[in-house]
Amino acid sequence: MNSRRTFLRQFADVALILGATAPFHTFAFRAQSAASQPDSIDMPGADGLIVRSSRFVDLETPVECFNTWLTPVPRFFVRNHMHEPSMILASDLKAEGWSLSVGGKVEKPFSLTLAELSKLEAHAVVNTLECAGNGRSLHRPQVPGVQWGRGAVGTARFSGPRLRDLLQRAGVKASGKHVMFRGLDEVPGKVPPFIRSIPIEKALDSDTLVATHMNGTPLTKNHGFPARALVPGWIGAASCKWLTEINVLDSEFAGNFMSPGYRFPNQPGRPGEPVKPEDTHPLTAINVKSVISVPLDGSKVKSGKLTIHGAAWAGEADIVKVDVSTDRGTTWNPAKLGRDQAHYAWRLWSYDWTAKTGDYSILSRATDSQGRTQPATAIWNPSGYLYNAFDQVKVHVA
Amino acid sequence: MSPKETKWLAPHASILVLIAMAIAAFAQSSSPKLTENFPAGPMQAKATTACTECHEARIIVQQRLSKAVWAKEVDKMIKWGAVVDAADHDALVEYFSVHFGPDQPAYEAPRTALEKGPGKKK
Repeated sequence: MNSRRTFLRQFADVALILGATAPFHTFAFRAQSAASQPDSIDMPGADGLIVRSSRFVDLETPVECFNTWLTPVPRFFVRNHMHEPSMILASDLKAEGWSLSVGGKVEKPFSLTLAELSKLEAHAVVNTLECAGNGRSLHRPQVPGVQWGRGAVGTARFSGPRLRDLLQRAGVKASGKHVMFRGLDEVPGKVPPFIRSIPIEKALDSDTLVATHMNGTPLTKNHGFPARALVPGWIGAASCKWLTEINVLDSEFAGNFMSPGYRFPNQPGRPGEPVKPEDTHPLTAINVKSVISVPLDGSKVKSGKLTIHGAAWAGEADIVKVDVSTDRGTTWNPAKLGRDQAHYAWRLWSYDWTAKTGDYSILSRATDSQGRTQPATAIWNPSGYLYNAFDQVKVHVA
Repeated sequence: MSPKETKWLAPHASILVLIAMAIAAFAQSSSPKLTENFPAGPMQAKATTACTECHEARIIVQQRLSKAVWAKEVDKMIKWGAVVDAADHDALVEYFSVHFGPDQPAYEAPRTALEKGPGKKK
């Protein structure tokens, strides 16, 4: 691979040195572009995503794609804990044989086909969905799990019936305190099934959905067709895909993905040290965070005016400001927040910088309406959740 | 080939060869690499058998973990159904620690093809 890249760069140089005509310039440009890319993999519905795993499918959005408020579906990260349901893969998006049941601690259990679900009143929520493990690869010491960089996050307009409407139709009993979601994920070996639950208060929130659409089109197979939970502001794992069963429970679901999975230390510990299970709590809302999407880390830019771009989000809170530093954190300047906003959605931001020749570390730091600010160092934890240190890119200005 | 054609080709031959090589390189650069493989080593075959029944090797190849953490991961996966002979346990942990330890350079993940532009889907 490296030798091929080297060759391509050399070819580009040779073509230019030879004083090639216009078509050669075009060709040389393409050679340089291709040389900066690793081998690409053809995967339907995934547009230039970083492949963390192809089986199970785990795909990350490159940060340079965070240039639109709504992330196009083919560029939206994908996180699967298990194999995709073969029934869904074979369904050709018709959902024949699929149904959604609502049961447990309810007066009148029922189930719906997709056609029946689609007749219910729909509600839309623009939500920034982030995997709890986004940024895991940046924790030190490193921890096991999908080695996400900064792009296991995206923003979309999710729509579908309110979960509350389904629960009210079933009639939740007084003993119903948690709502469990089961998807059709296919479990290999003796792996525990991917089942999780949320507290009844969040389930009854008017913005918690059984989403059937994303950015106005039916969910794709990668994103949970025909229906998924959408628990806005919370870690992505709460928003169970390929949803087929909603079960009201009297207590939190007892399973691997509630404990020991997806839990966070009650108190920050020493990096690398184990944390006792009794000293942890379940992850719920995501925390305050920002990323820099332009310029790219390790890039070379021309001196002069340069606009730094990025996105910032805060789960159930709102972003109130983003500060940018171009001198490794000695001084901070406010960024301009983008016009588009919604309660659970990120804000795009920009900062105009006059860049002088030299090497720089550009930092971004978001603050939210709960008074939380991104820290210089994220809280280390054994599973690498909720990484939210200042974002940083290094650039050379020439 | 006429002498005129030969005369034209001579100074351009290097360019034509470069073009042919570049086209070949493009074809290769867009070749699918859907699954990652384990590196050569004494446990390569056994790691492949034990792990890739359920998931591809890439999920392991991208980790950078200490030996103690690898031991915990291998034990968790055995509990979850990975078939590892007791006699191979320590060698498997050692194999992962050597190849995917904290001091190894970061794994460079591939990307899916672009819908548009260079490297676009065929």
